[in-house]
Amino acid sequence: MVVSLLLGVPAAVGLWLVTGGRMLPARAARAVTAAATGSALVLAVVLAVMRTGVDRPWLPDLGVRWSFGVDGISVPLVLLTASVGVLLAAHAWVDLPQGGTPATFLGCLLLVEAGALATFTARDAVLFFVAFELVLVPMWVLVSRYGDPRDARARADAAHRFVLYTAVGSTLMLVGILVLVGAAGTSDLGELVAVGSTLPAGTQLLAAALMTAGLAVKVPVFPVHTWLPPAHTIAPTAGSVLLAAVLLKMGTYGLVRLPVATLPDAFARLSPLLAVLGVVGIVWGGLVCLVERDLKRLIAYSSVGHMGFVVLALAAGSETGLQAALFANIAHGVVSALLFVLVGGLKQRWGSVDLTVPRPALRETSPRLGFVLVLGLAATLGLPGLAGFWGEFLAVYAAVDPAADRPRALFVGCAVAAAAGAALAAAYALRVARVVWVGDRPDPDVTPTPDTVGIERVVLGALAASVVVLGVLPMTVLSVTADTVARLGGAR
Amino acid sequence: MSPLVSIDWLVLTPALAPAVGAVLVLLVDALLPRGVPPRWAPPLGALLLVVGAATALRGSVGATGAPLRTLCLPAPDGACLWTAGPTESTLQAGVLLAAAAALALLHDAETASRDRVVTTMLVLSASAGGVAVAAARDLGAWLVALELATVPVVALLALRGTRRSGHGALTLLVTSLASFALLVLGAALWSTATGDAAFLAEGAQGAWADETTRPVLVLAVAVLVAGIGFKLSLVPFHAWTPQAYSTADLGTATFLATASKLAALGALVVVVRALVGTGAEGVLLPLAVVAPASMLLGNVVALRQDDPTRLLAWSTVAQAGWVALPLVVVTEEGIRASAAYVLVYATATVVAFAAVTRAGSATLDGFRGLVRRDPLAGGALALALLVLAGLPPGVVGLVAKVVALRPVVDERLWGLVAVAVVAVVLGIAVYLRWLALLVARPQPDDATPDASQDVPPAPMRPTRSVLVLGTLVLVVTSALPHALLGLLA
Repeated sequence: MVVSLLLGVPAAVGLWLVTGGRMLPARAARAVTAAATGSALVLAVVLAVMRTGVDRPWLPDLGVRWSFGVDGISVPLVLLTASVGVLLAAHAWVDLPQGGTPATFLGCLLLVEAGALATFTARDAVLFFVAFELVLVPMWVLVSRYGDPRDARARADAAHRFVLYTAVGSTLMLVGILVLVGAAGTSDLGELVAVGSTLPAGTQLLAAALMTAGLAVKVPVFPVHTWLPPAHTIAPTAGSVLLAAVLLKMGTYGLVRLPVATLPDAFARLSPLLAVLGVVGIVWGGLVCLVERDLKRLIAYSSVGHMGFVVLALAAGSETGLQAALFANIAHGVVSALLFVLVGGLKQRWGSVDLTVPRPALRETSPRLGFVLVLGLAATLGLPGLAGFWGEFLAVYAAVDPAADRPRALFVGCAVAAAAGAALAAAYALRVARVVWVGDRPDPDVTPTPDTVGIERVVLGALAASVVVLGVLPMTVLSVTADTVARLGGAR
Repeated sequence: MSPLVSIDWLVLTPALAPAVGAVLVLLVDALLPRGVPPRWAPPLGALLLVVGAATALRGSVGATGAPLRTLCLPAPDGACLWTAGPTESTLQAGVLLAAAAALALLHDAETASRDRVVTTMLVLSASAGGVAVAAARDLGAWLVALELATVPVVALLALRGTRRSGHGALTLLVTSLASFALLVLGAALWSTATGDAAFLAEGAQGAWADETTRPVLVLAVAVLVAGIGFKLSLVPFHAWTPQAYSTADLGTATFLATASKLAALGALVVVVRALVGTGAEGVLLPLAVVAPASMLLGNVVALRQDDPTRLLAWSTVAQAGWVALPLVVVTEEGIRASAAYVLVYATATVVAFAAVTRAGSATLDGFRGLVRRDPLAGGALALALLVLAGLPPGVVGLVAKVVALRPVVDERLWGLVAVAVVAVVLGIAVYLRWLALLVARPQPDDATPDASQDVPPAPMRPTRSVLVLGTLVLVVTSALPHALLGLLA
């Protein structure tokens, strides 16, 4: 019941906003969205406590059930998604992009939220796939209609690239799921955990390879990451936040749920390749960030690096690795949301966020924005005490001491390279801080950047507080996931 | 009731309703005084089609799931010339409903009033053929019914009377003659191989087991697949499709794109069913070539079309490949998957054609901002395109693709799976291109941005009902795909 409401409220309100209510004035649309996301957050909290579910037949011919519920792995992600939804609904008072009616924009945000929540709560492999696809069209509308108003062609290109790349990935994943489900005779994710390891080794490897390759596009893992920078850069602020904080998590969550949980042995055979690709992503993302001129694109590329840590941790295969991946997932969600809200605000104020344009120092003209920027950058470079630290530290730690069936030397090498990548992150974070925060002398002719006020301050404040809380008290997340992770580890 | 053959009239109603209707329409027209405008004919035809569909669905929702049989020879032989299981019955209902929708669109078209009676009569006869072919088990009835499903459409095309439609009709006529020749040859070969004038599994099994008749059976099936390939628009027998669609009026194109395809699949299912479980599954190998070729070529060419009708024509070619894909695995599951796919495709295509009729634009660019200008047509078209692309919220399209892909994955036919993955992505690109225009804002340099808003769309009540009902079906089956899939088993 709670799950049904949690999925149904944003989905129904979102659908209504994009169809019947699309002419609603901005004021009413904002209020409706805020109410919907607010109730979704309340329901998410209730669900996290009660852990109830729903389970009824949906496609009896295929043995697919309408089965939603949560466990330790999904609870943090459900809460993250619902919280991000509330913050974005609040952010609509700060920035409502042009390109269509406000109601359609907010409706699409709600639909993406509903799709993500459905993905994180689906307990059936085929249902997971359907939910996974649910976010594509609303996200496509967000990018292609409400994205950067300066260049229509770039908008269309980024939106199409996002949909087509993801569609390739999800279709590969579907083939993998069908191989697995066909061999196991069930599509229930819980039963698959038990049955998966008993399948023939060849089938296991095939299914795991297909699912991993498909999900790698969404994560994204190094060579298939090229959809991410344009989509994140072109999307409106709320779209970028959703992409970074929620949609990328669907990829890593899928990796944990499908290949890692159901086919651990086959995943172990794929993990060296995945670890290497993850590390290449870390280093590549860091190098690009060193030279990137557009601040929003820089943040997008830093996501490639951060997701590299998650992938490396997953590949390590130990319980620590799994915990590290799940924590880094949440941490990246919060930190990237913070940075994208901030950079979106700067873009709104400056018109562009080109780092080569000299601007007055943020620390002098708008100290609050400056403080949040420095906090976000510090979290990005993995400063201890902030959210970014634990994920990356544990990921490197897990890679140094991988599961017994992993090639140890290779993983230690990966750990070293990942640590070097973290140093790159420090370098680019300091570069941004120097250019934007320290900046040039305030020029009397240039109008100073207005500082945060009102709701933007609340949104940034909430995100900044979460970054600190996750950094100081990582056990808040780790203790929630620990039980389920131990069970998955014990299943091997 | 004849002692030789037992007849159950109720079982025959799906075919009898349109057939009797065709005669009835002509009779009434002859009896009515000259002055009466013949606007009564299409509604009467549509009513009969819906009645037929309702009786056909009896075979789908019946509790037993046992096939409806009639025209049975007395025991002990006991063969029935009319056998319609749940899958066939649902296909029959699909044919009739699609024909009713096509008739509604034809009703709205600017036809000379004297043609309305003939148009109705032709649609009814073609539907009778389309219904009968799915249930026919003997070669003769199968051939006649399949031709009856095609030839009236040639007349529908020619009736328009323009030079271009004449060309289109001629192409279709030549195509259907070639197809008929192939089908007759195939039927003759089948009969030679199996020694039986019916599509029965026992005959196929025997023919496959015998070294001397095996090559004949292989040839028979190859030729039959080619013949049906014309009707189903499978590559390389697809070339008539874009020309016929673009020269026909939209109602006729709708009939060709939906009712004709459902009938063609009904015919193919009869052949495939005779091969299930006989050990002769390998003879359907030609399908494993034409299906992927259609999926790829159809989508690639559709990517470059600027005329909505031509785009839908090439989309038909691509989707026909998807329809044929699960049949490669010669199982009951594959047959059901194929039927499910074609029904989803036909529903979405009916909605798309209805929306194109209402929007009345001959270029894709004319659809710019349609969602805002005409929410009903724009929204319905958007949903139909999403279903065809297989993207949520068109969940039923996605489920149809899952259902179609599943038997192929289970059989480990990796080449086909790889093509299907490429085809999914190409298809999304095709339909997103159109969808992007639908939701785009109107051009800023458009000189008369409000001109189109000032002119209210023509009333076109039949088209509107087709749009509303079709969209309703898509919405309901997207939420509960079992409402459709459950009819087939």
